[in-house]
Amino acid sequence: MNLPARFRSWLKWIVNGQRLESEMETEVRFHLESYAADLVRQGLSQQEAVRQARIEFGGIESHKDAMRASVGVRWWGELGLDLSHGLRLLRKNRGFTAVAVLTLALGVGANTAIFSIVNAVLLRSLPYHDPDRLVRIYFNEPGVGLRDVPFSKPELDDLQTRAGVFEDVTPIFEGSENLTGAKQPERVEGVNGSFSYFSMLGVTPQIGRLFGPQDFAPGFAPEAVISDGLWRRAYGADPNVLGRTLRIDNDPLTVIGVLPRGFRHPGPTTSGDAEVFGAGGFSGDPFPPPMRGTRILVSGIGRLKPGLTLAQAQARLTAMAAQLRHDFPTDYPHQAQWAIEIQPLQGTLVGKVRPMLLVLLGAVILIVFIVSLNIANLLLARASGRQQEMAVRLALGASRSRMVRQMLTESMLLSLIGGAAGIATAVATLGFILRFVPSNVPRLNEVRIDWVVLAFALLISILTGLLFGLAPALHSAKVALSSAIREGGRGSGYSTKTGRLRDVLIVSELAFAVILMVGAGLLLRTLRDLLQENPGFNPTQVVTANTWLGNPNDPKTDPYLGIPGKAAFDRELQRRMKAIPGVELAAITSSIPTTNSNSNAVGGLRIERLAIEDRPVESSQDLRAERIRISPDYFKVLQTTLLRGRSFTEGDEDGKPPVAIIDESTANKYWPTGDPLGRQVRFGNDPTKPWTTVVGVIKDIKNDGLDIDGVPHIYVSVYQDPSKQVSVVLRTSLPATLLEPQIRHEIQSVDPGLPVFNVSSMNDILDRSLASRRFSADLVGGFAGLAVLLASIGIYGLLAYMVGQRSREIGLRMALGARRDDILRIFLRKGVALAGVGIVAGVVVSASTASMMASLLYGVRPHDPAVFLIVPLLLLAVAAVASYLPARRATKVDPMFALREA
Amino acid sequence: MEQIDLLQGTLDMLILKAVSLGPLHGYGVLLRIQQISGEQLEIQQGSLYPALYRLEHRGWITSEWGESDNNRKAKFYSLTASGRRQLHAETEKWNRMASLIASILRTTPEQV
Repeated sequence: MNLPARFRSWLKWIVNGQRLESEMETEVRFHLESYAADLVRQGLSQQEAVRQARIEFGGIESHKDAMRASVGVRWWGELGLDLSHGLRLLRKNRGFTAVAVLTLALGVGANTAIFSIVNAVLLRSLPYHDPDRLVRIYFNEPGVGLRDVPFSKPELDDLQTRAGVFEDVTPIFEGSENLTGAKQPERVEGVNGSFSYFSMLGVTPQIGRLFGPQDFAPGFAPEAVISDGLWRRAYGADPNVLGRTLRIDNDPLTVIGVLPRGFRHPGPTTSGDAEVFGAGGFSGDPFPPPMRGTRILVSGIGRLKPGLTLAQAQARLTAMAAQLRHDFPTDYPHQAQWAIEIQPLQGTLVGKVRPMLLVLLGAVILIVFIVSLNIANLLLARASGRQQEMAVRLALGASRSRMVRQMLTESMLLSLIGGAAGIATAVATLGFILRFVPSNVPRLNEVRIDWVVLAFALLISILTGLLFGLAPALHSAKVALSSAIREGGRGSGYSTKTGRLRDVLIVSELAFAVILMVGAGLLLRTLRDLLQENPGFNPTQVVTANTWLGNPNDPKTDPYLGIPGKAAFDRELQRRMKAIPGVELAAITSSIPTTNSNSNAVGGLRIERLAIEDRPVESSQDLRAERIRISPDYFKVLQTTLLRGRSFTEGDEDGKPPVAIIDESTANKYWPTGDPLGRQVRFGNDPTKPWTTVVGVIKDIKNDGLDIDGVPHIYVSVYQDPSKQVSVVLRTSLPATLLEPQIRHEIQSVDPGLPVFNVSSMNDILDRSLASRRFSADLVGGFAGLAVLLASIGIYGLLAYMVGQRSREIGLRMALGARRDDILRIFLRKGVALAGVGIVAGVVVSASTASMMASLLYGVRPHDPAVFLIVPLLLLAVAAVASYLPARRATKVDPMFALREA
Repeated sequence: MEQIDLLQGTLDMLILKAVSLGPLHGYGVLLRIQQISGEQLEIQQGSLYPALYRLEHRGWITSEWGESDNNRKAKFYSLTASGRRQLHAETEKWNRMASLIASILRTTPEQV
């Protein structure tokens, strides 16, 4: 068949429908008149000829209809009719339309907003050249339970040259750096990689050039590439920035290029985006000589060779690891089972927030379900009212399919209006919504409403339209002619058939509401528990501030080199802090609780290998702990309980025997039976380092996050083990905002080149650490509340409708002696029974799916009995109230009035 | 002589044949068919138009507005190349069918 020709003719009709209609008319009239003229010529009178012509032509309208049908545009014309009919109905029932469009706008809007985040974060490919070939490389020691351990330069070289699976690999150092030499001293996020970092990602500079092999230096290259943001902020977008010198941690670096506006480093940074990019060879000064066992590199990414699948590459890497273990038995102790693992880069970037986003997406989809069930119910009530209209039309010859189509067109019209309102809402409020999304969600800057999002929103609108349109449409198709006309005449609408359909809708609505409420209950309980969780210290009246002393590549430019110089700085800093009026106590730490999220950052908290006296390193026990450097008053400022032994003193300094304080977790893990006091530990595996003696045990401090326990920590004296990351903690009744200028002044009086950042109260910090949990709990909780509201409206509406329809029956019953209580009971029972079935169904579904949320919960089991008890009871109570109101109205029916009206 | 009712499905073929002899407006198609059939075919006049639209929709005929003999605006239909092929195929099919049916009807008891 000639498909293009058909399509052309069809399209002609769609586009030129009006003109073609009139042409059709002209053509038919021409025929009639020509024939009539011929008949006149045969001797008929003009009037008789016209009559005869019409008779012989047949029904003009039905032929026209057949003509339209021939070119496949009849339904198009009917669609126009249905649409205008639907619009008229919507205008007539303003209340219904407003409720439906508003709830739909909310449902579709929420879906659009959440999906735009899911799309940007989880679905869209990373914005690099051929992103599917980019992988994150991990080194693991499964034999001792370690993942993501550091690696050495020779191991990096093996990946590059020996493995044969990578086009390129680069180690990654992330961290905060002090930037001087631009407009003003700043603390910026920096990234150091290899010289192929940019070519591997496939970036081209905005101006200047990026690193290449010609820049090679064994240590760090004296050049830097800066981000578009820094270029604009610090240099006013000056094109002559190339060749200028900026100082990063005191090292002079020449700017050689500016990155394009949208570029982002593919990894977590401590705060904000990376802005200064350096490159190095990782084998010369300041790096130690490249030895296989000198594992100084913390994180790596690579680009697979084209045509290689992840599994193939993984297999070759596993084989290479086995070969290396065999070749260098001293560097790879047998029990560690050293292994190399690769993961798609995208997954490693967004893996953490994936469960949260999926739960949110699930919640908004449930909401839109509930919204459409609610509308279906309203529509069904209306359809019952329209039964008579339908029956009459059927009797006059309309086909049932035609009527189903009309009902569906009306629903679609409604859902598309609601959908458009929803999309408009989402577009208008997306920026506002994003402000509440916790900043630990990566790629948020890429969130926008694009075609994929719009397509999703349209799909959701159409699906909801189908969902809530199908019930009344099918219902209208099943209208039994005679009974409908008769029933219609009597003004009753609650026939058994519609009744059952509406019951099913209410039951499913309640079931969905239960699922949402259980989800919300579990998340809110988790959040509540975390808020009440004892962090192991007293966070009220504690203010913290941070600075970073810089890590110059050239040791000669480091004013804080060596332990004594650093200790002098620490002591001076504390003296000045304590002198600020209103500050009772001051201390220093290398890590403020719950702030150290990026273990790959320079100065970030990292689980370190540990040796324990009398315990062979070769033992398969996983010996590791996090090391935190503190000043003597740290535990006093935090008011942490010292369980045994002593705290640090000013005397625990350089030259004295190294001492350590451990927390309960460490004590329980490594000395479950014996006394840890006086025992000795050593960080790293350098046997020439001195042992550190345990002098005290404190209660656990939740240093890694309120929802993380059991990580062993070992505290050491900052005077013996200096740290470039310096955070001050102050016990004071003054607010952070009031103290900030003084803290800044005092720190910069010691060294004007030091940046001061993140001055805030400890309570705010703890609060912020829960931001993402709070966000999802609040959001799902809000949706659950909305679901309950919608479900109770549904029950109320159904019963109120029933009462209205059955008022005659009620009147009759009462006239025959039924008491008001009996009447009340009939309707209450109906409402509560429906709710009961829905709740049971919802509980069953929740119970079987709750475990999918396990990764979002803390301290609460997915089948938490309290949640599973409270939610049904709460919903049942709401359902009872929603049923009681219409049921009471039933008892107010005046029997005389109801009977007379009938 | 009595008029013969049109066989199901043959109207399309007759229209194609009629316009193959030269462009015609709808009423002209009717007249042409009646003329060449010797007034023996009964066509319900109105049903001609859905058929014309259908054929044009399929790309077998094409239409153009022009002037009729009595100087009035009328829509003229003419055969397209693919319409000509279709007419040819239909004619072929029809002839085969007709001779087949004729031979069946001629069958005598001896031939079975």
